Amino acid sequence: MGCFYSKKSKRKSGEKEEHTSTGETSNAVPLGNNTDEAPKQYSWDKREKVDLSHYTLKELKDVTVGRLPGTLNGEQFVIQDCENCNIFVLDHSATITIDDCVNCRIVLGPVKGSVFFRDCKDIKCVVACQQFRTRDCQKMDVFLCCATQPIIESSTGMKFGCFQYFYPELAFHFKDAGLSIFNNNWSNIHDFTPVSGENNWSLLPEASSVLDFVPTPDPESDFKSVRISADPSRSIVPLTKGGRRKESEESCLFVFFAGEYTTANARKLIDEAVAKGFVLIQTKEVLMRPEDVKRVFQNSEDDLVEWITKGPVVALELNGDGVVEACRNIANEVFSATKVFVSDNKNTSTRDVDNFFNFADMQMGF
Amino acid sequence: MNKMLEFGTPYFPILIPESVKCGNLPSAVAKPRICSLQGLLSILRKLKSTPDQEVRILLLGLDNGGKTTLLKQLASEDISHITPTQGFNIKSVQSQGFKLNVWDIGGQRKIRPYWRNYFENTDVLIYVIDSADRKRFEETGQELAELLDEEKLSGVPVLIFANKQDLLTAAPASEIAEGLNLHTIRDRMWQIQSCSALTGEGIQEGMNWVCKSVNSKKK
Repeated sequence: MGCFYSKKSKRKSGEKEEHTSTGETSNAVPLGNNTDEAPKQYSWDKREKVDLSHYTLKELKDVTVGRLPGTLNGEQFVIQDCENCNIFVLDHSATITIDDCVNCRIVLGPVKGSVFFRDCKDIKCVVACQQFRTRDCQKMDVFLCCATQPIIESSTGMKFGCFQYFYPELAFHFKDAGLSIFNNNWSNIHDFTPVSGENNWSLLPEASSVLDFVPTPDPESDFKSVRISADPSRSIVPLTKGGRRKESEESCLFVFFAGEYTTANARKLIDEAVAKGFVLIQTKEVLMRPEDVKRVFQNSEDDLVEWITKGPVVALELNGDGVVEACRNIANEVFSATKVFVSDNKNTSTRDVDNFFNFADMQMGF
Repeated sequence: MNKMLEFGTPYFPILIPESVKCGNLPSAVAKPRICSLQGLLSILRKLKSTPDQEVRILLLGLDNGGKTTLLKQLASEDISHITPTQGFNIKSVQSQGFKLNVWDIGGQRKIRPYWRNYFENTDVLIYVIDSADRKRFEETGQELAELLDEEKLSGVPVLIFANKQDLLTAAPASEIAEGLNLHTIRDRMWQIQSCSALTGEGIQEGMNWVCKSVNSKKK
């Protein structure tokens, strides 16, 4: 069996921009050597033809380009063969591939599926996605929010930091893409091609400012209407220390149960704790079942079990000397009317943190 | 009562409460409120399936093709939070009287040499293609060609899922079939099926063919 798909053969069908129904019989290619039934009509056979160039950026140089909010609406996006460009994809999308790009600065709004960089070099980017993948890439600085463990393959000089970005529609785009701002595995990368004695990836310096890597769009560009901010305190995704070395041995687990104000409450806690000098290590938003409660919280109070059935919980690990006491005070003063779990004392709090985040990793792994 | 059914009983009428649903029984039995235990027994014997036949399915394809999403969809599990596969995943799924043992193997270039560790005793190969990743059509065609040349997979029926049809740049199955020269496959049963592992469309049709191909082979 030969393989026909090569750059030499120009296939007319490859140039086509519309979808043809598999029901057409004139050029019908057999769908099997034993097909009894006629091809069925699926949702993709019935959809309207689109101009694919609206969903593609290719062969551009020295320009500021991208897509404004509301122009992609969750569809696939393709970027290829761009050089020295500033690319702002400020909408949610299904999946994005970025191929053969050099010396570009790229912002990718929330992606429901995967972001896949191939054969790229000298890229600085801000990305939010469910899966992050690279192959054959070099020298990339990535400010990342990724729901699962990011992976790299045959890539070198890859550096990662926590997603920091804001524009007014961004929070909605996260929701539209089905991504939680609390599920961010930005700092633990899996390398499929590790080299002994070398590191293909590392973490960006903690104080790195996004604007030093990916400046805001030119005020004369199409993007002047979008009020972008890279101020860490305004970031839609909370800044987490992730895998960086903790400064204190004392951590505290703080859990908000599902409710209308869970996100706002979590943000408020983060602001209060950070103002007091504590550090946010990691966060998770995850569904719990009744049988998980006792194991994770070492406590099977009936009302805890009842509360976890209302929806996913949001858990935070805060770190610093005296953090447990401080969190308990905040819970009493600020969240007295809210259902929360806070570590009891600094002797058991590390166990709380481990129990919870190990549980969350299991839930969210395969 | 159950014990009596197991060992059979002589004919005698029993009252069945109206609240009991006879959804799976033929309507001739479902409607009357009195039916014979003997009659019930003979129907139950017909409904009881023969022991499930086990089928080993190998799920291969390039990385990012949608194999794990497909696997989770087959198992009716949540597909909103799937992580790139680092090793492999296995699931057992009941389908049409078969027990399908599905092996989903990671598809990164670096780990494709390990695919051969899973070839032995495969009943059906399912090869998943990202129909919207045109840049890698040549690569996926190459990998499929190599698989079909493998001694340990000779004669094994292959289902090609032209996945991600929900994406705008997806090539239709017919175009992919042509580009891969599938019609030149002479040494085994094959089928290409459009699908979206995300929405579930096309999956059942593909799996119907898988079960058919297993039946044909085992005859």
